[in-house]
Amino acid sequence: MTSFVDLEAKIPNNVGLKDDPVIRRALETWQPAYLEWWRDMGPSDFKQDDIYLRTAVGVGRGGWANFGHVKMPDYRWGIFLADPETEGERKIKFGDAMGQPVWMQIPGEMRARARRLIVTQADTEPASVEQQRLLGHTAPSIYDMRNLFQVNVEEGRHLWAMVYLLHKYFGSEGRDEAEELLRRRSGDPDNPRVLQAFNKPIRDWMAFFCFTTFTDRDGKYQLAALAESGFDPLARTTQFMLTEEAHHLQVGENGIARIIERTAQLMKEGVDPRKVGAMPLDLIQRYINEWSSASYDLFGGEDSSNAAEAFATSLKGRYREGDGLYKDPLALNQNYETEIFENGVEKKVQIPLRRAMNALLLEAYHADATRIVARWNRVLEQYQLSERVYLPTLRFNRQIGLYGGLWFNPQGEQISKEAFERKRTEWLPVDADYQYVKNCMIKVWDRGKFANWIAPPPVGINNQPVDFEYVKFH
Amino acid sequence: MSDGPRLVYVCEGGDCSEKGSVELFEELRAQIHDKDSGNKSNIRVRKFPCFGGCAHGINVVVYPDRCFYSKVTAADIPEVVASLLENGKKIERLSGKVEKDVEQITFDLLTTGF
Repeated sequence: MTSFVDLEAKIPNNVGLKDDPVIRRALETWQPAYLEWWRDMGPSDFKQDDIYLRTAVGVGRGGWANFGHVKMPDYRWGIFLADPETEGERKIKFGDAMGQPVWMQIPGEMRARARRLIVTQADTEPASVEQQRLLGHTAPSIYDMRNLFQVNVEEGRHLWAMVYLLHKYFGSEGRDEAEELLRRRSGDPDNPRVLQAFNKPIRDWMAFFCFTTFTDRDGKYQLAALAESGFDPLARTTQFMLTEEAHHLQVGENGIARIIERTAQLMKEGVDPRKVGAMPLDLIQRYINEWSSASYDLFGGEDSSNAAEAFATSLKGRYREGDGLYKDPLALNQNYETEIFENGVEKKVQIPLRRAMNALLLEAYHADATRIVARWNRVLEQYQLSERVYLPTLRFNRQIGLYGGLWFNPQGEQISKEAFERKRTEWLPVDADYQYVKNCMIKVWDRGKFANWIAPPPVGINNQPVDFEYVKFH
Repeated sequence: MSDGPRLVYVCEGGDCSEKGSVELFEELRAQIHDKDSGNKSNIRVRKFPCFGGCAHGINVVVYPDRCFYSKVTAADIPEVVASLLENGKKIERLSGKVEKDVEQITFDLLTTGF
């Protein structure tokens, strides 16, 4: 059941590259271009420093990763597919191909759609590295710096995972796409990344923690839906990516929790966080509003023929499709009920369930994000403060979908554009906020020390102490 | 639901994965497979993004049994496997550690779905 992992190869892998010379050569040709991209667009500087990083070394029983100090350019980016969940023939669990054996090659009529799904996912991986490339210089601790670089190298590995699929299963078109992934640049007006949220600058560590909480979480749900795919290599690739992604989400969730904790400590002592370079709760709330609503848009329109096609063709399932929890794996003869606004009047509409796949995935995401915000509020409770942060509803600040172009308050009540604009500075960050946060971003690189705006974590990485030398500077 | 699979969810949220939940997931799945290679018991071991009981991880939830186990370690796996495959008894010493609302939210999340 456990596949062979070749860690000695130029590209570590468990996909049998040794016996697949055509793909091996193609990937070894792509590798220098990737390393050049990493040099140019990966973390600025720190190339000579030793970072305490986790490296994926396998799948299955007996551990999947090693920890050790590594120079980032020497990181061993590998290609790993999760082992099959069961032995013997596996069947597709949803959509029109339900009951058929899973596909080991992509059926011809699905190539274009599958390629687009993979390229859209793949493009987010280098994009986020580009967005975050300058953050190391203002790290609030070497613990956080190490976490940033861990996220970066693993997003790089996810690019490798997707590029393998493009090379292996999509021929010359796949190779062209793999090259394009290294040519697009986050925020470049002439050659931007595919999804808008990945062209948004990550200016500071507040934005980084919000990004890893909310935007990376969209990635998690997209990966989870692809992990149900009838196209077996795609399903098993994304299953393994999810394992690494969990840490990225923790970095964000715990990062904001630690910022809130530091703010709560100060408030409890009667100190105004703004007076000491910490983050006031109203500012934290505006960042939450900005990044959560931008991330809602990443799910696409609630009523989507593309999403229906991806489900119908058994390429992309629902969240936890394979758990057997859904009453109808075909999603036929059912509707999804939601609300729309016509001339300011709210009314209920029924969307055929297959067309509502984006909405279903977004609902699952929103439930998860709600849980996180509740966890952050527990920190405020622990400090016996009455203030709370909240998660805006799915209608707030949307650019696309049923609520795009309409105006709602964070609680979801429709308001006029003028009313929204009057409240904008209360609900969303403005330049003064960005400037304030920027001024707080002062590097703290001494072992065990943390910037004044963030509390230390309760535990270190991989059972190491909090004051461990996570980064050895040279 | 009664004739559906029995689902064993291992939390792979950040805190639980830092405590080794990925390794625990693999070991639990392997031990169940070792004892029930034909999967006659129709058990699926799955990862779950996060249950929100982070302070009490590693968390493992069995559905539809509505068992919420916390502070699970590798040493507990044989007992969990025995509970699943043999005696069917809820493991009391691993239960009742997270807040009641966290348990309720989890079971609500698992129960929804079309």
